[in-house]
Amino acid sequence: MPLNKYKYLKDLARTCRLDLLDMLYKSGGGHLGGPLSSMDILTTLYFGKLFNFKKDHFILSAGHLAPALYTVLANAKFFDKAKLPKFASFNSFLQGHVSTKVPGVEYSSGSLGQGLSFAAGLALGDKSSSVICLTSDGEHQEGQVWEAAMFAKKYQLSNLINIIDFNSYQIDGATKDIMPLGNLAAKYVQFGWTVTTIDGHDFSQLTKALSKAQKSDYPNCIIAKTIFAKGISFMEKDFHYHDVKNLSESTYLKAKAKL
Amino acid sequence: MNLTSMRTSFGETLCQLAQNNPNIYVVDADLKSALNLDEFAQKFPTRFIECGVAEANAAGIAAGLAKTGKTVFLTSFSCFSPAINWNVIKQSICYNQCNVKIVGSHSGLMSTNLGATHQMLEDIALMRSLPNMEVFSPIDSIETEKITKVLARSRLPAYLRLVRPTTPTIFDPKLNFTIGKSSILKKGRDVTVIGYGPILYEAFEAQAKLNLDKPYVSLEIINCSSIKPLDFSTILKSIKKTHRLICLEDHQKNGGLGELVASLILSSNLKCQFIHLGVNDKFGRSAKTYQKLYDYYGIGVNNLITAIKSITKK
Repeated sequence: MPLNKYKYLKDLARTCRLDLLDMLYKSGGGHLGGPLSSMDILTTLYFGKLFNFKKDHFILSAGHLAPALYTVLANAKFFDKAKLPKFASFNSFLQGHVSTKVPGVEYSSGSLGQGLSFAAGLALGDKSSSVICLTSDGEHQEGQVWEAAMFAKKYQLSNLINIIDFNSYQIDGATKDIMPLGNLAAKYVQFGWTVTTIDGHDFSQLTKALSKAQKSDYPNCIIAKTIFAKGISFMEKDFHYHDVKNLSESTYLKAKAKL
Repeated sequence: MNLTSMRTSFGETLCQLAQNNPNIYVVDADLKSALNLDEFAQKFPTRFIECGVAEANAAGIAAGLAKTGKTVFLTSFSCFSPAINWNVIKQSICYNQCNVKIVGSHSGLMSTNLGATHQMLEDIALMRSLPNMEVFSPIDSIETEKITKVLARSRLPAYLRLVRPTTPTIFDPKLNFTIGKSSILKKGRDVTVIGYGPILYEAFEAQAKLNLDKPYVSLEIINCSSIKPLDFSTILKSIKKTHRLICLEDHQKNGGLGELVASLILSSNLKCQFIHLGVNDKFGRSAKTYQKLYDYYGIGVNNLITAIKSITKK
């Protein structure tokens, strides 16, 4: 049964990646590398039957991962999939960075480093629910993230889960070159959190880590090691694919074939 | 003149309100005593959230808490909040429409001896430029109480500007504060003086001195404590009568009330003489009394009298 479950998630994630590529091709472009790396995390959150987002909260702190969240929400029937090609166009509710105008979205963001504080505020005010926040590794260069990390420990926010999409790249290059983050796991441990490091493309590991985090007595950090632009091999680990503009038909078809 | 404290009034009022409203929370950044919130913290420990010296996070915590149905007062000095956390206020509070009231004390030159870093002269500019944000600056402790009560009932983001020292008590306790309404504190015929906060007391001092002249200049004094939304119609009505306007503010002229009103007058086709008294693109500095600083920066009572004499000569 679990094997089937993970196959189900894997197939869904593939559908979402194809939808994402289609959306960016038809709409003229948008962020790609991060959305592809975080897709398996988002698929597990929305289809893994671990959370009930009518009650639990999901906060996307890295707002530029919006294209991934939009395709997942569309597949989860929060809105009509046919709207996706209108992404970031004038009359569309699908804003370029994640927005509460989109059904299913609870927090609008785009400026990095703010979501974990918002999630911590929610976790404090609604202790009966889980609050899941998705941040990026590069985002941890923002000092506010560490202010929130201190806060979550002080107020023992055991219902807070910060998943870090650790894809090792940011807009201008490799995170280790732009500003090394050191040992993030050790830092979160020092801040008093429970930390689990996993393969962010392994649905079994994702499911187990999330399920363990739900039962923890401390704020939880899941470091999900991912591959930047995962699934499109010729784009993987190439920071130039942070975002794409006007993909050519041949690149689009080549990328589609890889998925 | 009876001197009272806005900060004392704010803390006492919030404590009273919290007694009957379990949804009132305070999110503070290590300035509990300075905002007279010791009693609140003692009486409602689970509703007093201490964030330490971390204003960006505090604004985010306030926003998240507000989304769970609380009315959150985010308290600090204005030189830290909204100065340090402005973009968190923009995105997490305003863009996400969270019910957070940002309370910034120690605004203006009235932080006297603390010097430039603690004399917040840009807060109105920062806050009035944000969509979804309302901006209020009480004239004294009585109006602070009235505004705090109104804010506890509203569901929108708002900024409340407080000052450090005790200041003259001016507001008529029988009157109400209404969002988007200016109050005419004194009727007059020759010059309209507008402003917000305790500095407006200078207009009364100026009038007292002008009364000794024959014939004397009569001032119409308007309290614009609701800076956003601004009640321009009351100002317009007054300057249709006086044709002369002086705006007085303990804030940079850049981005202040004077600029806002000047642009509204220009758009209204009304002809009127105008003098703007504010801090002219300068940092503050320390002094023993704020009156000394008001004189130095050209916003003291003598500067106001000079402006009145010059505007009535034309």
